[in-house]
Amino acid sequence: MISLIGFSALCLSAFFSITLLIPNSIFKFKIKFFLLFFRLSTFLICISFVSLIVAYVSSDFSNFNVFQNSHSNKPLIYKISGTWGNHEGSILLWLCMISIYGFAYSLISNALDDFKINVLKIQSSLFVIFAFFIIFTSNPFLVNSVKVDEGLGLNPILQDPALAIHPPMLYMGYVGFSLVFSLGMASLFKKSRDTNWIIETKKWAIISWTFLTAGIALGSYWAYYELGWGGWWFWDPVENISLMPWIVGLALVHSLIMIRGEQTIERWIVFLSILCFSLSILGTFLVRSGILTSVHSFASDASRGLFILLIFFLITGFGFLIFLIKSPANKNNLQLLLINKTSALIINNILMIIAMLTILLGTIYPIFIEVLTNTRVSVGGPYFNATVLPILLPGFLLMSIAPVLSWQSNKIKKFRTYVIFFLILSFVVFLHSYFTVFNTWGFIGLILGSWIILASIISIILRFQFLISFNYIKSINSFIAHIGVGIMIIGITFSSVYQKEYNFNISVGQEINLNENILKLENIKIMEEKNYQTLKASFSLKQKNDLIDYILPAKNYYPVSKMITTEAGIYHDWLKDIYITLGAEDNNIWNIKVYINPLVSFIWIGVIIMIFSGLIAIFKR
Amino acid sequence: MNKVLKFLPLILLITVCIFFLLFIIFEKNPSNPPSALLNKEIPEFSTKSLYNKYVLLSSENIRRNVNLPVNNNAYTNENNIQNKYTIINFFASWCTPCRAEHNLFFEIKNNYQNVFLLGIAHKDNPKDSIKYLNEEGNPYSFVGLDQDGKIALEFGVFGLPETFIINNNGKIIFKHIGPLTKEIIDDEISILF
Repeated sequence: MISLIGFSALCLSAFFSITLLIPNSIFKFKIKFFLLFFRLSTFLICISFVSLIVAYVSSDFSNFNVFQNSHSNKPLIYKISGTWGNHEGSILLWLCMISIYGFAYSLISNALDDFKINVLKIQSSLFVIFAFFIIFTSNPFLVNSVKVDEGLGLNPILQDPALAIHPPMLYMGYVGFSLVFSLGMASLFKKSRDTNWIIETKKWAIISWTFLTAGIALGSYWAYYELGWGGWWFWDPVENISLMPWIVGLALVHSLIMIRGEQTIERWIVFLSILCFSLSILGTFLVRSGILTSVHSFASDASRGLFILLIFFLITGFGFLIFLIKSPANKNNLQLLLINKTSALIINNILMIIAMLTILLGTIYPIFIEVLTNTRVSVGGPYFNATVLPILLPGFLLMSIAPVLSWQSNKIKKFRTYVIFFLILSFVVFLHSYFTVFNTWGFIGLILGSWIILASIISIILRFQFLISFNYIKSINSFIAHIGVGIMIIGITFSSVYQKEYNFNISVGQEINLNENILKLENIKIMEEKNYQTLKASFSLKQKNDLIDYILPAKNYYPVSKMITTEAGIYHDWLKDIYITLGAEDNNIWNIKVYINPLVSFIWIGVIIMIFSGLIAIFKR
Repeated sequence: MNKVLKFLPLILLITVCIFFLLFIIFEKNPSNPPSALLNKEIPEFSTKSLYNKYVLLSSENIRRNVNLPVNNNAYTNENNIQNKYTIINFFASWCTPCRAEHNLFFEIKNNYQNVFLLGIAHKDNPKDSIKYLNEEGNPYSFVGLDQDGKIALEFGVFGLPETFIINNNGKIIFKHIGPLTKEIIDDEISILF
């Protein structure tokens, strides 16, 4: 029953969206009715999605999708998250969000009616394309042909709080770029020359980018404690394809800032909007078609892959084609001086695009090679570290001086203050590196990261007002974001360069010396949880006989899917993480891996700061 | 030049899409990668016996089907028969799926007389391997060591366990990644002998 409601709502909503696509020459909607139809369609698709959630929560196994991906004794939160923990449901979520973004735009935007209608038309055509994809190849409302009382269960590795909200966050980001795409496309068709759309694009690009950041960070945090490999970024193809729209989105946000200097490059902005959304679709295509194997590739299916490839080709192809035909003219020439804000932003944009192309090349190169020569190659961390990092370095260098630059001239404001502080800081960093273990990458990362932080802090101090108001925070917002990046760079550098890995064989009661700490295996217990069995080891971490904390790595056994997952035990400290995973057992002797990851917390702090400043930027005009 | 640059995104898009299309049409399955070594001669290698470090086995022995040593006995005559197939199985004591397929090798050993079962202990401590084989039983005609993983590299081993079958001309005629199952032996391997 609930499946029937969901499916009818889906079809009806697609129908309403199709009626919106009738060309103006045949029938011209009044703006009132147009908006009404659009909102009705949004309302219906939300009903459709909610009914799928209801089917999951009530464990309605007459729905084939629920039967395949749920189990009646899962905790409630994983029943809900199970809705998007599979291909069909996640695409329905994607579709729902396309519509919600359009809905939000129709409420907030103060654009002219014609422009608004054009944006929403493009948004609904995207909606219709994806709705057809769902209806014809991945319907979540199929009825189960046999009567069953129990489902097959959700992949245990996905049963995790961070992963419950990771897909919606990520999709909010990916799909947000659909609105950016629509705005860019609509701007090509507009006749008037106002630049209001750039301000709107900026707002939506920042919203999407912020969500995407949060989504990627959640996924990465999950990989850190759930996969038990001791790291948080593996240059896995699936991570790479989420990074590509993120980088282009970042370039887009930065090139939109140029409107503040009254220098607009509409052509470039539209180009980036198209690129950004098409990379989001490419990500979906590569993951869903099963071309790339990972935890994300649910049951793959050639027809689905073909369909998404077609969607990707059509949307990107049309986007670029219209862009070619109706390319906007650049009104005023850019003021490119040797070193001013505009040229810094443009160089940064170029670097980001090159970085994105490098990642793209590394990600799809194996596919090219396999098609051409039928051999399998894999491109991993070493390639990306060796190519992407050097590209980003000059970008970081520019970031450290960016706040000082001016729009109009080559002059640098408060030149002397900066130089003095830079020299002092560099000296301190140099001394630090000299007296600890020297490592080139460690040194470069530390000095760039701290430069960026320093430059931003000085800029904030120079603008300090005694009255801290929201407006003040808004005016220093970009510096806050840059501080976040600086902190993150330091965290990334230290956690990757100075990571230490140990292997121990240990039995209950034994102690290990780890530098200044003592690690003792206290006990190992087997406990029954609601839908799994867990084997938990308890380590006590002591420093000079003072107990600091317990570290609890575990292995979980899920009887429904007969799978074992490892759960790393992590002791968080501001300065270092002690990270333990349980290995095999032999005669009561346990093999454990201990990683000491310095400054990992800085990465998450940096990300949180970036997200915070993204949220502030939304309210900024 | 400017014109070419304008069309560049479209050209790139079309090329990328064509490759993806070809990839999907030929249904490349990532979990079952093609082997460059299939139908080729086995790579050169030489390995020491797990039980006796003075007993060596090299690819030459397998290729020519001569002087195949059996565990700690250097040479036995019974092994020098023509028409002998060799199964090479990469395993390790730390590899759980290896335990799952282990019993099947006893079956192969009992059912097919003209098979030489070569087990290669991959990146494993010899003590652990011996212990593992004592616990699970030793179906292998010969157990070779590959402590630094060089032999596995030569064979392009993807992940443990991995099994190769070599015919009496020294050519690799079958390869399987992951644990063997009864179905694979019945459907794919038995027809080879």
